[in-house]
Amino acid sequence: MDLSKYAALFLAESREHLGACNRLLLEWERDPSAREPVDGLFRAIHTVKGMAGTMGYGRLADLAHRAEHLLDSLRSGRVGATAATVDLLLRAVDQLERGVEIAAADGDAQFDAGDLGDVLTAAADDPAAAARQVGKKGRWAQASPEVAAPVRDVGRVVQVEVRAGAIMRGARAFLALRRAEAFGAVSGVVPPPAAFESDSFDGRFSFRLESEASDADIVDAIRAAGEIEAVTIGADVMTTAEWQVPSAATGGAAARAQAAARSGQVRVDRRRLDALMNQVGELVVARNRLLELAQAEPGGELEALGTRISRLVSDLQSEIIQARMTPVWQVFDRFPRAVRDLARQLGKQVRFEMEGEGIELDRAILDEIGDPLLHVLRNAVDHGIESPEERVAAGKPAEGRVTLSATRERSSVAIRISDDGRGIDRAAILAKAKREGAAAADLETVSDDLLLKIIARPGFTTAEQLSSVSGRGVGIDVVLTRVRAHGGTVEIATEPGQGTSFTLRLPITLAILRALLARVGGERYLLPLSYVAETVEYDTQPVTAFQGREALVLRDQVIPTVHLRELLGVAPSELPPRRPGLVLEVGDRRSAVVVDALLGQQEVVVEPFEAPRGTPPLFSGATILADGSPALILDAAALV
Amino acid sequence: MSHTVLVCDDAIFMRTMISDILTQAGFEVVGEAETGMQAVEKYNQLKPDLVTMDIVMPDMGGIDAVREICRDNPEAKILMCSAMGQQALVVEAIQAGAKDFVVKPFQPSRVLEAVQRVLG
Repeated sequence: MDLSKYAALFLAESREHLGACNRLLLEWERDPSAREPVDGLFRAIHTVKGMAGTMGYGRLADLAHRAEHLLDSLRSGRVGATAATVDLLLRAVDQLERGVEIAAADGDAQFDAGDLGDVLTAAADDPAAAARQVGKKGRWAQASPEVAAPVRDVGRVVQVEVRAGAIMRGARAFLALRRAEAFGAVSGVVPPPAAFESDSFDGRFSFRLESEASDADIVDAIRAAGEIEAVTIGADVMTTAEWQVPSAATGGAAARAQAAARSGQVRVDRRRLDALMNQVGELVVARNRLLELAQAEPGGELEALGTRISRLVSDLQSEIIQARMTPVWQVFDRFPRAVRDLARQLGKQVRFEMEGEGIELDRAILDEIGDPLLHVLRNAVDHGIESPEERVAAGKPAEGRVTLSATRERSSVAIRISDDGRGIDRAAILAKAKREGAAAADLETVSDDLLLKIIARPGFTTAEQLSSVSGRGVGIDVVLTRVRAHGGTVEIATEPGQGTSFTLRLPITLAILRALLARVGGERYLLPLSYVAETVEYDTQPVTAFQGREALVLRDQVIPTVHLRELLGVAPSELPPRRPGLVLEVGDRRSAVVVDALLGQQEVVVEPFEAPRGTPPLFSGATILADGSPALILDAAALV
Repeated sequence: MSHTVLVCDDAIFMRTMISDILTQAGFEVVGEAETGMQAVEKYNQLKPDLVTMDIVMPDMGGIDAVREICRDNPEAKILMCSAMGQQALVVEAIQAGAKDFVVKPFQPSRVLEAVQRVLG
């Protein structure tokens, strides 16, 4: 059977199960008395083992088997758990995670977990526990009566031999016995069925059967149990013990009635959804064109049809966007483990909390922000949180806090990472920035905005020594670039001694952007609607000055103005004094962007945008407008 | 008419594989269940000719599901899907009413042999 087509499924599902393992292990570490995590771990590892075995990944299956064996010993109380056990299991999960990736790529021949397998087995078969194990019988044996029933020398003697190579000979023998029971009373089973499970069971057993059926029928029926080498009837055999088939064990069937009603779902390859989304994007553009054409003939049939198609496309679009929505925990899930490991490695005490894991984002965005978020989290633990001694000396609790939260805001989602650490050392950042010529030499203080701009410069780092954790120079710029590429924004707020918080604002979905179309000079530009708070009329008269910048007053608020003409280098020309202004709002920063004219709203498909050299850093993407001509999308964060 | 099958396993991977094996052999997979609870519900709803049942599943394991199904439907034809080293559980399942078992990793021929035996 060709297994390669299952590899992707194997990988996706194994990742999911192993991710859950990490979460369960941390849960268990926090509450050693909890039982559910161990049960959950057992199930997850067991499933991975089964899948790996089926795919023919023997090494991987073996490691999973050993981990499962340890979990089973823990679950049944044969061995006790210590903190070292949790560490050992975390290591095992790490190796399994590594293993499934290697195996799914090109088989697990290259996978080597070192002595981990032996360590797991040794932990599972702790000698002290093994002593207890000797007296312990299997579930099945316990259910059977210990006292032998009186021998009944009735019926025919049946001898059965299970094939030597058969898997689980004991169970097969038991199945054969059940088949025989269908004919009549079975007695005098030798060896007793309780011994079928033992390793020394050689597949041969005999019993007495009280039945009117013909020998041939009985032989056929027993053979139908499968894997039977031989069945003979009538020959005399020793009857040293007597045993009766126990009735079906009762109890335990009390339903753990928490049905996870996950039925009615299917898995879809994400590329399918992406393709579907792109198609819908194209459809939206075509619809826009159609509506433009329809407007040429008001009241015509084309207009009616255009309206109808427009509504259908909108519905389709929102359905597909909905299908792509994924709760953020799917990405957040790996962070608790990462933060824990890092804190340990650095000798810090960190309490990590997550909020709003149920908030949903477009899967494509979610996948992209995983690494940037991890980067910021690492910074928080490495640079933000102080050592326990330092914290106590500063009058703080020894345990630092790092919080990751997701909240829904207007049409975006804000993801905030905050810590209660030392805050960013502005003086150090400023000194370094001056040395590198990134900040004016006469600068005395650094605002949060400027701070972000400085640390966001590619390669900027203040880490004196490069640790393995952060400070490799792959810094905040990576975060900023990725987030901005999706029309998002990044903000930073830091207070010396109090901590730092990063806020990433992301659009809920990509690909389709609702934007306002504005004209500046001879060109048209788009502004993402999600950042437009309102449109106002800019008039040269009531303009005031604020901190040396031109500003306008709107309902008692002073909003600095930004003239796109100037920013874009459009030659000045005669313009009416009253022009439209767009009030942009990014976090708590606002500005009024003055344009020549507003041309209306459009839904556009964002295309990747490689800015040519010399382009002012004002754009986040490009698109094709309804009439087929290209236009640039302005980066709201660059304008406030 | 082809035989109908209900496939019960918490791993979509396993469900897919078993379904493929059976479908290619001309069976009709009429339902899938990923927990023991679902297996019982779907059995009663679909009354399939055959059930393949994983042992370890969340929300009621396979053995309890077999017990539950066989209590009301003693004629139910259930094939257990077991992993290596689960002999005691397989025996328990047979006691509960399972008609046969296959051991992972699956070989399609073994699965089909077991299915034929169960449908007898």
